[in-house]
Amino acid sequence: MSDATATPLAAPRGGNRPSALRRALGHPSTMIGLCIVVFFSLVAIFAPWLAPYDPNVSDWLSIRQAPSALHWFGTDDLGRDVLSRVIFGARASLAAGLIAVTIAIALGLPLGLIAGYFGGVLDMVISRFTDALLAVPFLVLAIALAAFLGPSLENAMIAIGVSAMPIFIRLTRGQVLSIKNEDYVTAVRALGVRDRSIIASHILPNILAPVVVQATITMAVAVLAEASLAFLGLGQRPPAPSWGSMLDIARQFLTEAPWMAVWPGLAIIAIVLGFNLLGDGLNDTLNPHGEGD
Amino acid sequence: MTAGTRMAVLAGVLALTMTSASAQTLSVALQDDPDTLDPAVGGTYSGRIVFDALCDKLVDINANLEIVPQLATEWSWNDANTELTLTLREGVTFHDGTPFDAEAVAANIERMQTLEDSRRRSELSPIVDVEVVDAQTVIFKLEQPFAPLLSVLTDRAGMMVSPTAAAEGGEFGAAPVCSGPYQFVERSARDFIRLEKFDGYWNADEIGYEGIEYQIIPDSTVRLSRLQAGDLDVAERIAPTDLETVRSNAQLELHTAPGLAVSHLFINVGEAGGILADSPELREAVELALDRNVINQVAFNGEFIPTNQMIPPSSAFHSASHPIPERDVEAARALIEASGVASPTIEITYENSLTDGRVAQIIQSLLQEAGFTVNLLPLETSSAIERYLAGNFELYIGNWSGRADPDPTLYTFFGTGGSQNLNGYSSPELDEVLISARSELDLDARKALYEEAAGIYLNDRPTIPLYHPTWFYGAQANVEGIEIYPDGLLRVTGLRPVE
Repeated sequence: MSDATATPLAAPRGGNRPSALRRALGHPSTMIGLCIVVFFSLVAIFAPWLAPYDPNVSDWLSIRQAPSALHWFGTDDLGRDVLSRVIFGARASLAAGLIAVTIAIALGLPLGLIAGYFGGVLDMVISRFTDALLAVPFLVLAIALAAFLGPSLENAMIAIGVSAMPIFIRLTRGQVLSIKNEDYVTAVRALGVRDRSIIASHILPNILAPVVVQATITMAVAVLAEASLAFLGLGQRPPAPSWGSMLDIARQFLTEAPWMAVWPGLAIIAIVLGFNLLGDGLNDTLNPHGEGD
Repeated sequence: MTAGTRMAVLAGVLALTMTSASAQTLSVALQDDPDTLDPAVGGTYSGRIVFDALCDKLVDINANLEIVPQLATEWSWNDANTELTLTLREGVTFHDGTPFDAEAVAANIERMQTLEDSRRRSELSPIVDVEVVDAQTVIFKLEQPFAPLLSVLTDRAGMMVSPTAAAEGGEFGAAPVCSGPYQFVERSARDFIRLEKFDGYWNADEIGYEGIEYQIIPDSTVRLSRLQAGDLDVAERIAPTDLETVRSNAQLELHTAPGLAVSHLFINVGEAGGILADSPELREAVELALDRNVINQVAFNGEFIPTNQMIPPSSAFHSASHPIPERDVEAARALIEASGVASPTIEITYENSLTDGRVAQIIQSLLQEAGFTVNLLPLETSSAIERYLAGNFELYIGNWSGRADPDPTLYTFFGTGGSQNLNGYSSPELDEVLISARSELDLDARKALYEEAAGIYLNDRPTIPLYHPTWFYGAQANVEGIEIYPDGLLRVTGLRPVE
């Protein structure tokens, strides 16, 4: 009974969803961003078929060789094919981005919903906790956590995810505060619907758009953070490649073997640009304030 | 004057002013920030570089590792080899004006033997009594002969600090007072250490710079580029892969010396050890699967010295009868089969430095060809050292700075209870040989004993030595008189700017 009554009251969301998606895809920066992200995702998924060599096997006779027909991106300090390592490195970067953001949302979204919806002491505790975390710069927090957990790709993902969590708590809480006193929420509450289903069916769907935009932008930050942690030796364990650790080694050979740094560097720039363009595009089209124009 | 010529002239003038300013002060780049500048406590290699300018020692070494005079001009052993009589240099004063004499030597030895956090205590433990004969003569009395004693005195244990300053209390290392050619001015942690020329130095004619500034620059690429840019005079530990850049630059000069240091694959043979601990076959298989030349070529451009021993070929105590075994993957596979371990998996722990990281990955790759599965565990320096000291590792890439005498290397690593014996190794047979080598002062007889010792540890394989690093200093060509000895220190005596 209550559900049937609630649906028409919550109407503002359903109607324009397809057009929002269409508009998002029509936005040039969304399209470019999406293409870049999809390209790297395909590279990561099909890495074993795309890579011309095993990324971890050394050829002792071709150390630091410049790009050639045999090795398109050259070889590194241990005689490994740089192209193959960049291809396999996409896995570490994208996995780190995806999993870190998932962790951040999985932790941040519920906390933000609770803080925003229930208010009071719960809100106090969660908000102060968030403030405390936000007081520490993102990368510093991630480095500290990763150093504490020990160097591995999994721990780097956890560290980045936890460090990215507070922004999601704050965003979600703000969104919830702005809609929890809307008429349709007050109405379902007056009808005696339980808090859990109000949050799940009426609040959550209406705050998802900004969270999706934030998630896309955080992906870019997470990919960059994974590269930074790997650069500092706190990410992927050797010999498995990661763009950040490739750069870390390459910086020793900047003058004599610049190709070791150029390719992973370009890859990082491209993927971060991709996520940022995607995020910007989604922001322009999904942002509720932009809906009228 | 065109804009171009004006720029060139301006650049020339700028360059001239810069050279004349730096001619007075020698700027030296160090890779690590030294720990405390108290010779009784210090424990870092970069600290020893600074000490060379700051604190004179009783005796020094020369390029051939022979003992030469510094604060002691002569020395002699009694017949039983239990008393070392030193004649001290006259007219030496500490930086604070305190005269250097036999009393000062006695006070220094006592300080290093009794100071609470002294790191020299075990090095000086053979000295049971110091007798002051007169102002210039002092006798070190030992319970039993100890051949490495003079060699110990060529390092921090032989550095004399002002007894007046040391008696004042407070933290001596924060403002050290010694008798070296330069005195302490100021220090900024992780940034720089500044010294100025000590006018009362006994050998002042040989000191060519008014001051020295040691700058702490951890990254070798940055050290090199600042050297190329001309704002450094000397940079230590140039990366082997950067040597070509230095060699091909006419403004720069490369100074090298074969080092005493050794990097080795330390194997835990104790209770915390893995499958290698109980299996001599597997340890031998590891050694046979390694190719030290590949490690040297790939990681160090072939600039280091591959080795299978802890004592480098530059030492008289290197064992020539134990050459580096050839790589033999088939033999390694056969040994793995003989060991009965189906698919041996081992883990290498190391400090997360670029060098050790590269060596670890090469070893991983080489051992995998023989059928080992190798996991790598790179750790941040302090946690790596913590694990190392606790003996919590299966294999560890150890970097030992080495000593002029073989005893402090071999006994500390392989002697039962040695301070670096962290892998649970114990061989009564080897202990006996090493201890008798300590009391043998005859060179040939000592060589024979260390030959025997090499035979034992190379067979037991408590560690697998990999390479001896070579010391590489890059310097401006206008710094004259740089000579690097196997201990890898920059000796400031005799350095001067060329006009």
